[in-house]
Amino acid sequence: MRAQTALAHVSFAVLVAACSTLGDEGPEGLNLPTSGVGPFRALGSTEVLGVPPYVLDGTTSNYREPSALALDTDPSSANVALYVTATKTTRTGSSTVIMRSRADDARSFFGTAADPGAGDLPALVLQADEPWEGGSVHSPSALRVGATIYLYYAAAGGIGVATSSDGLTFTKHGAPVLATDAPLTWETTPPTQPSVAVFPSGLWHMLYAAANSIGEATSSDGLTWTRADGNPATPTIDPVFSPLPFDVTTLAPDAAPPFDSAQVADPFVSPRITAAGRLQVRVLYTGYDALPGATGRQSAIGFAARYGETGLLVRDATPVYSVGKHEAAPTLFDWSVGTMLYVGQNTSSPPVYTAVAGAIAPATITLAPPTTFPSGP
Amino acid sequence: MRAPSLVLLGCVFACSLARPARANPLDAFGFGSRETAMAGANAADVQDFSANYYNPAGLALARRMELTLGYMNVDQSLYINGLNSGVDPVRALVGGLVAPGVIAGVPFAFGFAIHLPDDRLSRVRAEPQDQPRWELYDNRNQRLYLAASVAISPFPWLQIGGGLSFMSSTTGSIDIGGQLNIFQTDNSQVRSSVDADLTAVRYPEFGARVALSDKWAIAAVYRGQFQLGLSLDAVLHGNISSLTTAYYDLQTTSVNNFLPQQVVLGNSWEPLKGLRANVDLTWVNWSAYVPPVSEVNVALNIPPPKGGWPASVTPPTQPAPTSILPITMHDRIVPHVGVEWRAFESEHWEAFVRAGYEYDKTPIGAQTGETNYIDRDRHAVSLGLGGRAIELIPELPRDVRLDLHAQLSELPTGTTLKTSPTDLTGDYTAGGHIWNLGATLTAGF
Repeated sequence: MRAQTALAHVSFAVLVAACSTLGDEGPEGLNLPTSGVGPFRALGSTEVLGVPPYVLDGTTSNYREPSALALDTDPSSANVALYVTATKTTRTGSSTVIMRSRADDARSFFGTAADPGAGDLPALVLQADEPWEGGSVHSPSALRVGATIYLYYAAAGGIGVATSSDGLTFTKHGAPVLATDAPLTWETTPPTQPSVAVFPSGLWHMLYAAANSIGEATSSDGLTWTRADGNPATPTIDPVFSPLPFDVTTLAPDAAPPFDSAQVADPFVSPRITAAGRLQVRVLYTGYDALPGATGRQSAIGFAARYGETGLLVRDATPVYSVGKHEAAPTLFDWSVGTMLYVGQNTSSPPVYTAVAGAIAPATITLAPPTTFPSGP
Repeated sequence: MRAPSLVLLGCVFACSLARPARANPLDAFGFGSRETAMAGANAADVQDFSANYYNPAGLALARRMELTLGYMNVDQSLYINGLNSGVDPVRALVGGLVAPGVIAGVPFAFGFAIHLPDDRLSRVRAEPQDQPRWELYDNRNQRLYLAASVAISPFPWLQIGGGLSFMSSTTGSIDIGGQLNIFQTDNSQVRSSVDADLTAVRYPEFGARVALSDKWAIAAVYRGQFQLGLSLDAVLHGNISSLTTAYYDLQTTSVNNFLPQQVVLGNSWEPLKGLRANVDLTWVNWSAYVPPVSEVNVALNIPPPKGGWPASVTPPTQPAPTSILPITMHDRIVPHVGVEWRAFESEHWEAFVRAGYEYDKTPIGAQTGETNYIDRDRHAVSLGLGGRAIELIPELPRDVRLDLHAQLSELPTGTTLKTSPTDLTGDYTAGGHIWNLGATLTAGF
C-alpha cells in the first residue's frame, strides 16, 4: 500500500512538472564572431526615415563615394559623419566637390531629401582651387589621427590631402601626395579613389585605384608616400589586387563570369587584429564585370583580405553586397549594434540618380526605428 | 529457464525493430546524482533507475522496488572571443523506477527512466553551416529522453539486460496557395496549411555485468546509433495577376541531432571495505557523425506569360541545391574514473562521499575552413554526497536515499585559425565552463 501511495505521489509530481513545460525560443546566434565585412542586407522601410535603403540623397547632388568617420569614441554611439562626393550646381555650371553630413543614428543624415529642414544641404568642405586638381575633387577618405582629421581626396593630378581640427574647415597641403609614376607599367591612369588607414604598427597605408587595379602605398607621417610592391617576387612594383582573370571557355553553360573580372576599384581598407592576434587587412572594393563604357556593365561590392602588413590581397568569390543598381565605392562604420555599409548606388525609380544607400551586417538583425535628423552637418 | 529465454528473445525482437537512432543530454551531463558524482564510471556498478542508461544489466541486481525523482540544473557559460554565447541551460526532472522480481527462479527486473526538460521537450535548429555554434552543447541537449529496460540474472555472477531509448523526431509540411494580384492587392488571396508530426524514434542498448568476485565486477555495454531527422516541405502555388502561374517547392532535410553508437567497458573494484573505485572506457563512434545542416532542394517554375517576359523583367532562376561541406570527426575513447566512500554506517544510517573525473577530447576536427562547429576538450570534475536511511520509521519506505552532485566541466580556451583571410567569421577563441548541480531522492519498498 505504501508503494502504491508513493507511486501516485510521484506520478502526480511528474505530471505537474510536465504540464509546466513552457519553454521560450531561447537565444540564437548570440555574440557570434565575425570579420565585420558582411554579407550585408539593404536597410528596410522601418529602418530609415526616407526611401529605403537610401540615407543621403538629393536629386541634383548625386551624392556618392562616401567615407564614414566615427564622431564618438563610445562604441555604442552611432554618431557618424559622411564625407561624400557631390555635384554642386550653380547658375554658371556644375562642379564636383566634397561635402559632409552627419547622423546620430548612422542613418538619418542631415540634408538628405527626407530631412524636413527645407533648403538644408550637407556642408561643403572641399572644392577644387589648385591647378593640379583640374577643377574637381572627389573620392574622399577621412580618418582621425589624434586631434586631426585627415581628408584624402582625388583630383585630376593624383591624390591630395587636407587636414582639419573640426571636420568642417579643411586646409589643403598643396601638391598631390601621390601622383602619376611614369615608370610603373600597370598605372596607366593617375592614382585615384584613395583609402587610408593607420595600421597597428603605426605605419600609414593607402590603397588606391589606377587603371583597372588597386595599388598600395605606405607612409610614416601620412604626407610622404612610397608605393608598396604587391608581389616582391617580380622585378617591378605590382598592384596588390587585380581583376580576376577567367577563361570564358571554362564557364559552365548558365554560369556568369566573376563579378570582378574586368576592373577593381574604390578600395576601402580596414585593418584589424583578429582574436588570434594576427593582422588582417580587410578591403572592400567595387568589382566590375566589364570595362568602363561597355553596354550592360554591372558592379558589386566585393571583399578581399590578407594576413600581414604587406602582400597581395585574396578575394572572396561572392560579393558581400549586390543589388544590381551600379553600387560602388563602399565604406564601413562599426558600432556595437553591427556594421553599416554605405555605398553610392542608383535610385530605384525615375528620375534615376546616384545616392548613398545603407546596408547592415549581420544581415539577421533589424535596426531600431531611426531617430530624427540632426540640426547640422 | 524458459521464461528468461522468452524475455531475452523479447529484448532481441524489440531491439531489432529499432530504427537507427541519434544525441542526448545524458551523454554530456550524466544521469542520476550518484552516477554523475562518480563521473559516469558506473557500467559495472549501477542498479538504480539510471541503469537504464549506464547498463541495463544492473537492474537485475535490484532487490526491492525503487522509485526515484530528482532534478538537474546545468548552466553553460561558454564564450567566443570572450563574449558569452548564450547557450541555453539544461534543466530537467529526472526519475524512474526499478521493479525486480523472480521468474522461474531467475531474478528479473524491469526499469523505466525519464529525463524531462522543464523548458522544452525538443528543439529543432538547422543553422547555416558557416554559423558558429557550440556543436555538442547548444541544441543537442534539449531533449526528452525515455528508456525502458529489462534484465535477468541467470547466474549469481552474471547479469544481462537490454532496453530501448526513445526520442522525438519532427516532420512537417507547409502548403501555401492563392492568387496574387500585383495591380489590385485587395483581390489577393492566400491560403495556407501546416501539417507537422512529432514522432518517436528509438535506439537499442544492451549490457552485461560479470562479478569476478565479491569485490570485483566488469561490464560491457553497447548503445546504438541514433539520429533525429527534420524534414520540412513547403509548397507555394498560385497565380500572379492572371499573367502567369508560380510553383515553388522547397524541400529541406537535415539531421537535427545525432547520437553516435558507443561501447563501454566498465570495471568496479572494492579495494577496501566501504571504498569503491570504478573505471569506465567509452568508445564513441563520432566519425559517423552527420552534421545538422539542412539539405535544401528547390523547384521553381514560373512559365513566361503570353507574349513572353517584358524586357524590364528578369524571371527568377532555379536556385542551386545546398552544398553541404563535410565535417571531420574522430572516434574517441572517453575515460571515466569514479570513487565512492561509505564514510558513515550505522543500523539506520549510511553516508557516502563520491568523486569523479571524465576527460572528453573533442572529436571535432580543426575548423579552419567555412564551417564553424565549435568544441573544445572537456575536463569534468565531480563531487557528491549521499545519505541513506534504512527502516527508520514505519511511515517511511524501507529505504530512503538522497544523493547530491556538483560537476564542473572546464573547456580550456583555444584559438581557431582560419586559413583564408577572407573568411567572414575570421579567427576566434572559444572556451568556458559548465556547472551541473542536482539531486535525486530514491525510495525503496
